[in-house]
Amino acid sequence: MRDSRWTRARNALLVLPAIVFCFGAGRPEVTLEIRDHLFIPSELVVPANTKVKLIVHNRDKTPEEFESYELNREKVIMGGQKAIIFIGPLKPGEYPFFGEFNPKTAQGKVIAE
Amino acid sequence: MLLTSVIIIFREVLEAGLVFCILLAMSRFLGLSTRWFLLALVLGGIGSAVYGNNLAAISNAFDGAGQELLNAGLHFWIYFLLVMATTLMVINYYRPGYRLSLLKWLMLLAVTCSVLREGAEIYIYLYTFHSQPELFGSVVKGALIGAGIGFSIGALLYYLLLGLPKRYILPVTCILLTIVAGGMCSQAAQLLIQVDWLPAQAPLWDSSGLLPEHSLVGQLLFALVSYEASPTPIEVFLYTTSMAVMALILGVTHYVFRTSSHVPAIAH
Repeated sequence: MRDSRWTRARNALLVLPAIVFCFGAGRPEVTLEIRDHLFIPSELVVPANTKVKLIVHNRDKTPEEFESYELNREKVIMGGQKAIIFIGPLKPGEYPFFGEFNPKTAQGKVIAE
Repeated sequence: MLLTSVIIIFREVLEAGLVFCILLAMSRFLGLSTRWFLLALVLGGIGSAVYGNNLAAISNAFDGAGQELLNAGLHFWIYFLLVMATTLMVINYYRPGYRLSLLKWLMLLAVTCSVLREGAEIYIYLYTFHSQPELFGSVVKGALIGAGIGFSIGALLYYLLLGLPKRYILPVTCILLTIVAGGMCSQAAQLLIQVDWLPAQAPLWDSSGLLPEHSLVGQLLFALVSYEASPTPIEVFLYTTSMAVMALILGVTHYVFRTSSHVPAIAH
Protein backbone atom coordinates (compact mmCIF):
# COMPACT_ATOMS: atom_id res chain seq x y z
CA MET A 1 0.00 0.00 0.00
CA ARG A 2 1.19 3.46 -0.74
CA ASP A 3 -0.81 4.93 2.13
CA SER A 4 1.67 6.66 4.33
CA ARG A 5 1.08 7.16 8.02
CA TRP A 6 0.46 10.81 7.22
CA THR A 7 -2.26 9.95 4.71
CA ARG A 8 -3.94 7.62 7.17
CA ALA A 9 -3.86 10.23 9.89
CA ARG A 10 -5.31 12.77 7.49
CA ASN A 11 -8.04 10.35 6.43
CA ALA A 12 -8.93 9.74 10.06
CA LEU A 13 -9.15 13.48 10.54
CA LEU A 14 -11.44 13.69 7.55
CA VAL A 15 -13.73 10.96 8.82
CA LEU A 16 -14.07 12.43 12.31
CA PRO A 17 -15.68 15.72 11.34
CA ALA A 18 -17.57 14.10 8.50
CA ILE A 19 -20.79 15.37 10.01
CA VAL A 20 -20.65 19.00 10.87
CA PHE A 21 -23.96 20.58 11.75
CA CYS A 22 -24.22 23.83 9.92
CA PHE A 23 -26.53 25.96 12.03
CA GLY A 24 -26.63 28.79 9.52
CA ALA A 25 -28.32 26.74 6.83
CA GLY A 26 -30.09 24.55 9.38
CA ARG A 27 -28.93 21.34 7.77
CA PRO A 28 -26.00 19.01 8.30
CA GLU A 29 -22.94 19.15 6.05
CA VAL A 30 -20.88 16.16 5.08
CA THR A 31 -17.52 16.30 3.33
CA LEU A 32 -16.14 13.77 0.90
CA GLU A 33 -12.86 13.64 -1.01
CA ILE A 34 -11.87 12.05 -4.27
CA ARG A 35 -8.20 11.06 -4.26
CA ASP A 36 -6.44 8.60 -6.58
CA HIS A 37 -9.88 7.66 -7.99
CA LEU A 38 -11.09 6.65 -4.51
CA PHE A 39 -13.78 8.17 -2.32
CA ILE A 40 -12.46 9.09 1.10
CA PRO A 41 -14.14 8.19 3.37
CA SER A 42 -15.96 5.47 1.48
CA GLU A 43 -18.76 5.40 4.04
CA LEU A 44 -20.65 8.51 5.08
CA VAL A 45 -23.03 8.41 8.00
CA VAL A 46 -25.82 10.96 7.76
CA PRO A 47 -28.96 11.53 9.79
CA ALA A 48 -32.08 9.91 8.35
CA ASN A 49 -35.09 11.94 7.17
CA THR A 50 -33.03 15.13 6.87
CA LYS A 51 -31.71 17.01 3.89
CA VAL A 52 -27.91 16.92 3.93
CA LYS A 53 -25.41 19.15 2.12
CA LEU A 54 -22.70 16.97 0.65
CA ILE A 55 -19.46 18.72 -0.30
CA VAL A 56 -17.21 16.73 -2.61
CA HIS A 57 -13.60 17.83 -3.13
CA ASN A 58 -11.95 16.31 -6.18
CA ARG A 59 -8.24 16.26 -5.29
CA ASP A 60 -7.33 14.38 -8.48
CA LYS A 61 -6.19 16.18 -11.61
CA THR A 62 -8.80 14.36 -13.67
CA PRO A 63 -12.57 14.91 -13.67
CA GLU A 64 -14.91 12.50 -11.96
CA GLU A 65 -18.65 12.06 -12.06
CA PHE A 66 -20.37 11.53 -8.73
CA GLU A 67 -23.25 9.23 -9.51
CA SER A 68 -25.84 7.38 -7.48
CA TYR A 69 -28.99 5.70 -8.73
CA GLU A 70 -30.21 5.25 -5.15
CA LEU A 71 -29.72 8.91 -4.28
CA ASN A 72 -30.86 10.11 -7.75
CA ARG A 73 -27.78 12.26 -8.08
CA GLU A 74 -25.31 12.86 -10.91
CA LYS A 75 -22.67 15.56 -11.15
CA VAL A 76 -19.41 16.00 -13.01
CA ILE A 77 -16.63 17.42 -10.82
CA MET A 78 -13.58 18.73 -12.64
CA GLY A 79 -10.08 18.02 -11.33
CA GLY A 80 -9.11 20.18 -8.33
CA GLN A 81 -12.69 21.47 -7.93
CA LYS A 82 -15.35 21.05 -5.30
CA ALA A 83 -19.02 20.34 -5.77
CA ILE A 84 -22.06 20.79 -3.59
CA ILE A 85 -24.79 18.20 -3.83
CA PHE A 86 -27.89 18.19 -1.66
CA ILE A 87 -29.11 14.71 -0.76
CA GLY A 88 -32.07 13.31 1.11
CA PRO A 89 -34.24 13.30 3.11
CA LEU A 90 -33.36 9.60 3.25
CA LYS A 91 -35.08 6.72 4.97
CA PRO A 92 -32.68 4.73 7.19
CA GLY A 93 -30.60 2.48 4.99
CA GLU A 94 -27.60 2.31 2.68
CA TYR A 95 -27.27 4.28 -0.53
CA PRO A 96 -24.31 3.34 -2.75
CA PHE A 97 -22.60 5.91 -4.94
CA PHE A 98 -19.74 5.62 -7.43
CA GLY A 99 -17.48 7.61 -9.66
CA GLU A 100 -18.78 7.02 -13.17
CA PHE A 101 -15.40 7.65 -14.80
CA ASN A 102 -13.61 5.15 -12.52
CA PRO A 103 -16.37 2.85 -11.32
CA LYS A 104 -14.06 -0.02 -10.36
CA THR A 105 -12.21 1.91 -7.68
CA ALA A 106 -14.39 4.89 -6.85
CA GLN A 107 -17.10 3.30 -4.74
CA GLY A 108 -18.78 4.43 -1.57
CA LYS A 109 -22.05 4.55 0.29
CA VAL A 110 -24.14 6.91 2.34
CA ILE A 111 -25.55 5.34 5.47
CA ALA A 112 -28.65 7.09 6.78
CA GLU A 113 -29.50 6.33 10.38
CA MET B 1 -11.77 0.81 -18.84
CA LEU B 2 -13.20 -0.70 -22.01
CA LEU B 3 -16.56 -1.65 -20.49
CA THR B 4 -16.85 1.61 -18.54
CA SER B 5 -16.41 3.68 -21.66
CA VAL B 6 -18.85 1.49 -23.62
CA ILE B 7 -21.51 2.11 -20.97
CA ILE B 8 -20.87 5.84 -20.54
CA ILE B 9 -20.84 6.66 -24.25
CA PHE B 10 -23.79 4.35 -24.95
CA ARG B 11 -25.91 6.13 -22.35
CA GLU B 12 -25.10 9.61 -23.57
CA VAL B 13 -25.49 8.76 -27.26
CA LEU B 14 -28.79 7.02 -26.63
CA GLU B 15 -30.23 9.96 -24.70
CA ALA B 16 -29.37 12.53 -27.34
CA GLY B 17 -29.90 10.03 -30.17
CA LEU B 18 -33.58 9.49 -29.42
CA VAL B 19 -34.38 13.16 -29.94
CA PHE B 20 -32.54 13.35 -33.20
CA CYS B 21 -33.66 10.12 -34.76
CA ILE B 22 -37.32 11.02 -34.12
CA LEU B 23 -36.83 14.53 -35.55
CA LEU B 24 -34.87 13.16 -38.48
CA ALA B 25 -37.64 10.67 -39.25
CA MET B 26 -40.16 13.51 -39.11
CA SER B 27 -38.00 15.61 -41.39
CA ARG B 28 -37.91 12.82 -43.96
CA PHE B 29 -41.65 12.26 -43.58
CA LEU B 30 -42.35 15.93 -44.33
CA GLY B 31 -39.98 15.79 -47.28
CA LEU B 32 -37.52 18.30 -45.82
CA SER B 33 -33.85 18.26 -46.65
CA THR B 34 -31.83 16.91 -43.76
CA ARG B 35 -28.92 19.31 -44.08
CA TRP B 36 -30.07 21.04 -40.85
CA PHE B 37 -29.24 17.82 -39.07
CA LEU B 38 -25.57 17.77 -40.06
CA LEU B 39 -25.25 21.43 -39.11
CA ALA B 40 -26.85 20.65 -35.72
CA LEU B 41 -24.35 17.84 -35.10
CA VAL B 42 -21.41 20.11 -35.92
CA LEU B 43 -22.77 22.99 -33.79
CA GLY B 44 -23.54 20.60 -30.93
CA GLY B 45 -20.04 19.14 -31.15
CA ILE B 46 -18.41 22.57 -31.01
CA GLY B 47 -20.74 23.55 -28.15
CA SER B 48 -19.81 20.39 -26.24
CA ALA B 49 -16.12 21.25 -26.42
CA VAL B 50 -16.75 24.84 -25.31
CA TYR B 51 -18.98 23.65 -22.46
CA GLY B 52 -16.48 20.95 -21.44
CA ASN B 53 -13.54 23.36 -21.43
CA ASN B 54 -15.42 25.82 -19.23
CA LEU B 55 -17.16 23.38 -16.93
CA ALA B 56 -15.11 24.33 -13.85
CA ALA B 57 -16.12 27.98 -14.20
CA ILE B 58 -19.72 27.06 -15.02
CA SER B 59 -19.92 24.76 -11.97
CA ASN B 60 -18.63 27.45 -9.64
CA ALA B 61 -21.17 30.01 -10.80
CA PHE B 62 -24.28 30.61 -8.65
CA ASP B 63 -22.63 29.29 -5.47
CA GLY B 64 -21.78 25.97 -7.07
CA ALA B 65 -25.17 25.49 -8.71
CA GLY B 66 -24.07 26.63 -12.19
CA GLN B 67 -23.78 23.21 -13.79
CA GLU B 68 -27.24 22.12 -12.65
CA LEU B 69 -28.85 25.46 -13.53
CA LEU B 70 -27.38 25.42 -17.04
CA ASN B 71 -28.40 21.80 -17.61
CA ALA B 72 -31.88 22.36 -16.19
CA GLY B 73 -32.18 25.43 -18.42
CA LEU B 74 -31.13 23.37 -21.44
CA HIS B 75 -33.74 20.73 -20.57
CA PHE B 76 -36.56 23.27 -20.27
CA TRP B 77 -35.38 24.95 -23.49
CA ILE B 78 -35.41 21.61 -25.36
CA TYR B 79 -38.94 21.00 -24.00
CA PHE B 80 -40.03 24.36 -25.41
CA LEU B 81 -38.38 23.67 -28.79
CA LEU B 82 -40.00 20.24 -29.01
CA VAL B 83 -43.45 21.68 -28.21
CA MET B 84 -43.01 24.31 -30.94
CA ALA B 85 -41.60 21.84 -33.47
CA THR B 86 -44.33 19.21 -32.97
CA THR B 87 -47.02 21.89 -33.18
CA LEU B 88 -45.61 23.01 -36.54
CA MET B 89 -45.46 19.39 -37.69
CA VAL B 90 -49.17 18.98 -36.93
CA ILE B 91 -49.97 22.23 -38.78
CA ASN B 92 -47.89 21.03 -41.72
CA TYR B 93 -49.93 17.89 -41.95
CA TYR B 94 -52.96 20.02 -42.85
CA ARG B 95 -51.18 22.93 -44.52
CA PRO B 96 -48.12 21.54 -46.27
CA GLY B 97 -45.28 24.02 -46.50
CA TYR B 98 -46.36 26.11 -43.50
CA ARG B 99 -43.31 27.84 -41.98
CA LEU B 100 -40.97 25.04 -42.89
CA SER B 101 -37.84 27.09 -42.37
CA LEU B 102 -38.94 27.89 -38.80
CA LEU B 103 -39.57 24.17 -38.24
CA LYS B 104 -36.07 23.38 -39.51
CA TRP B 105 -34.55 25.95 -37.17
CA LEU B 106 -36.49 24.57 -34.21
CA MET B 107 -35.32 21.02 -34.99
CA LEU B 108 -31.77 22.24 -35.53
CA LEU B 109 -31.75 23.99 -32.15
CA ALA B 110 -33.31 21.01 -30.36
CA VAL B 111 -30.70 18.62 -31.76
CA THR B 112 -27.85 21.09 -31.11
CA CYS B 113 -28.91 21.48 -27.47
CA SER B 114 -29.33 17.71 -26.99
CA VAL B 115 -25.89 17.04 -28.45
CA LEU B 116 -24.43 19.85 -26.33
CA ARG B 117 -25.96 18.47 -23.15
CA GLU B 118 -24.80 14.88 -23.59
CA GLY B 119 -21.74 15.59 -25.72
CA ALA B 120 -20.05 17.75 -23.07
CA GLU B 121 -19.89 14.76 -20.77
CA ILE B 122 -18.40 12.57 -23.51
CA TYR B 123 -15.90 15.30 -24.32
CA ILE B 124 -14.79 15.63 -20.67
CA TYR B 125 -14.55 11.88 -20.29
CA LEU B 126 -12.46 11.37 -23.43
CA TYR B 127 -10.31 14.41 -22.66
CA THR B 128 -9.52 12.95 -19.22
CA PHE B 129 -7.85 9.94 -20.79
CA HIS B 130 -6.18 11.90 -23.52
CA SER B 131 -3.13 12.35 -21.29
CA GLN B 132 -2.99 8.66 -20.34
CA PRO B 133 -1.85 6.91 -23.52
CA GLU B 134 -1.84 3.47 -21.87
CA LEU B 135 -5.61 3.73 -21.24
CA PHE B 136 -6.63 5.99 -24.12
CA GLY B 137 -6.66 3.17 -26.67
CA SER B 138 -9.15 1.02 -24.80
CA VAL B 139 -11.24 4.07 -23.86
CA VAL B 140 -11.56 5.06 -27.51
CA LYS B 141 -12.38 1.49 -28.52
CA GLY B 142 -15.04 1.35 -25.81
CA ALA B 143 -16.38 4.74 -26.85
CA LEU B 144 -16.72 3.61 -30.48
CA ILE B 145 -18.53 0.42 -29.45
CA GLY B 146 -20.82 2.38 -27.11
CA ALA B 147 -21.55 4.98 -29.76
CA GLY B 148 -22.13 2.20 -32.29
CA ILE B 149 -24.72 0.48 -30.10
CA GLY B 150 -26.39 3.81 -29.29
CA PHE B 151 -26.58 4.87 -32.94
CA SER B 152 -27.85 1.41 -33.95
CA ILE B 153 -30.79 1.69 -31.57
CA GLY B 154 -31.43 5.20 -32.92
CA ALA B 155 -31.30 3.92 -36.50
CA LEU B 156 -33.66 1.10 -35.61
CA LEU B 157 -36.19 3.56 -34.18
CA TYR B 158 -35.74 5.81 -37.24
CA TYR B 159 -36.54 3.01 -39.69
CA LEU B 160 -39.36 1.69 -37.48
CA LEU B 161 -40.94 5.15 -37.52
CA LEU B 162 -40.59 5.58 -41.28
CA GLY B 163 -41.81 2.02 -41.83
CA LEU B 164 -45.10 2.71 -40.09
CA PRO B 165 -48.27 3.11 -42.16
CA LYS B 166 -48.33 6.78 -43.22
CA ARG B 167 -51.30 7.86 -41.14
CA TYR B 168 -49.64 6.61 -37.94
CA ILE B 169 -46.29 8.36 -38.40
CA LEU B 170 -47.39 11.79 -37.20
CA PRO B 171 -49.38 10.62 -34.13
CA VAL B 172 -46.64 8.16 -33.07
CA THR B 173 -43.96 10.84 -33.48
CA CYS B 174 -46.01 13.33 -31.47
CA ILE B 175 -46.56 10.80 -28.68
CA LEU B 176 -42.86 9.86 -28.56
CA LEU B 177 -41.73 13.50 -28.56
CA THR B 178 -44.29 14.35 -25.85
CA ILE B 179 -42.85 11.59 -23.65
CA VAL B 180 -39.26 12.64 -24.36
CA ALA B 181 -40.14 16.30 -23.70
CA GLY B 182 -41.87 15.42 -20.42
CA GLY B 183 -38.71 13.57 -19.41
CA MET B 184 -36.70 16.75 -20.04
CA CYS B 185 -38.81 18.58 -17.47
CA SER B 186 -38.58 15.84 -14.85
CA GLN B 187 -34.78 15.72 -15.28
CA ALA B 188 -34.64 19.49 -14.92
CA ALA B 189 -36.65 19.17 -11.70
CA GLN B 190 -34.19 16.62 -10.35
CA LEU B 191 -31.26 18.91 -11.10
CA LEU B 192 -32.96 21.81 -9.33
CA ILE B 193 -33.62 19.59 -6.29
CA GLN B 194 -29.94 18.58 -6.33
CA VAL B 195 -28.88 22.22 -5.82
CA ASP B 196 -31.69 23.04 -3.38
CA TRP B 197 -33.54 25.37 -5.75
CA LEU B 198 -36.58 23.11 -5.44
CA PRO B 199 -37.54 21.57 -2.10
CA ALA B 200 -36.30 18.07 -1.31
CA GLN B 201 -38.95 15.45 -0.76
CA ALA B 202 -39.18 11.80 0.12
CA PRO B 203 -39.68 9.63 -2.99
CA LEU B 204 -43.25 8.94 -4.01
CA TRP B 205 -42.45 5.28 -4.66
CA ASP B 206 -39.48 2.98 -5.09
CA SER B 207 -39.53 0.49 -7.92
CA SER B 208 -35.79 -0.25 -7.87
CA GLY B 209 -36.57 -3.78 -6.63
CA LEU B 210 -38.77 -4.44 -9.67
CA LEU B 211 -36.68 -2.63 -12.26
CA PRO B 212 -33.29 -1.23 -11.25
CA GLU B 213 -32.23 1.95 -13.05
CA HIS B 214 -28.79 0.56 -13.88
CA SER B 215 -30.19 -2.51 -15.67
CA LEU B 216 -30.20 -2.44 -19.48
CA VAL B 217 -34.00 -2.11 -19.58
CA GLY B 218 -33.76 0.59 -16.92
CA GLN B 219 -31.22 2.52 -19.01
CA LEU B 220 -33.35 2.22 -22.15
CA LEU B 221 -36.42 3.36 -20.26
CA PHE B 222 -34.42 6.22 -18.78
CA ALA B 223 -33.41 7.39 -22.24
CA LEU B 224 -36.94 7.08 -23.63
CA VAL B 225 -39.26 7.99 -20.74
CA SER B 226 -36.74 9.28 -18.12
CA TYR B 227 -37.46 6.26 -15.96
CA GLU B 228 -36.62 6.90 -12.36
CA ALA B 229 -36.99 4.17 -9.72
CA SER B 230 -37.65 6.55 -6.82
CA PRO B 231 -39.02 9.87 -8.08
CA THR B 232 -40.13 12.67 -5.79
CA PRO B 233 -43.63 14.20 -6.02
CA ILE B 234 -42.27 17.37 -7.70
CA GLU B 235 -40.60 15.35 -10.46
CA VAL B 236 -43.77 13.33 -11.08
CA PHE B 237 -45.84 16.51 -11.06
CA LEU B 238 -43.60 18.33 -13.56
CA TYR B 239 -43.35 15.22 -15.74
CA THR B 240 -47.10 14.70 -15.99
CA THR B 241 -47.98 18.41 -16.21
CA SER B 242 -45.47 19.14 -18.95
CA MET B 243 -46.73 16.18 -20.98
CA ALA B 244 -50.35 17.21 -20.40
CA VAL B 245 -49.63 20.79 -21.52
CA MET B 246 -47.87 19.58 -24.67
CA ALA B 247 -50.65 17.08 -25.44
CA LEU B 248 -53.24 19.82 -24.97
CA ILE B 249 -51.40 22.22 -27.32
CA LEU B 250 -51.06 19.50 -29.95
CA GLY B 251 -54.69 18.45 -29.50
CA VAL B 252 -56.00 22.00 -29.90
CA THR B 253 -53.75 22.64 -32.93
CA HIS B 254 -54.93 19.43 -34.53
CA TYR B 255 -58.56 20.35 -33.88
CA VAL B 256 -58.26 23.91 -35.17
CA PHE B 257 -56.35 23.05 -38.34
CA ARG B 258 -58.40 19.99 -39.16
CA THR B 259 -61.56 22.09 -38.94
CA SER B 260 -60.14 25.03 -40.86
CA SER B 261 -58.67 22.85 -43.58
CA HIS B 262 -62.20 22.14 -44.81
CA VAL B 263 -62.69 25.85 -45.45
CA PRO B 264 -61.30 26.98 -48.81
CA ALA B 265 -58.13 28.93 -48.18
CA ILE B 266 -59.22 32.18 -49.79
CA ALA B 267 -56.57 34.24 -48.07
CA HIS B 268 -53.77 32.16 -49.57
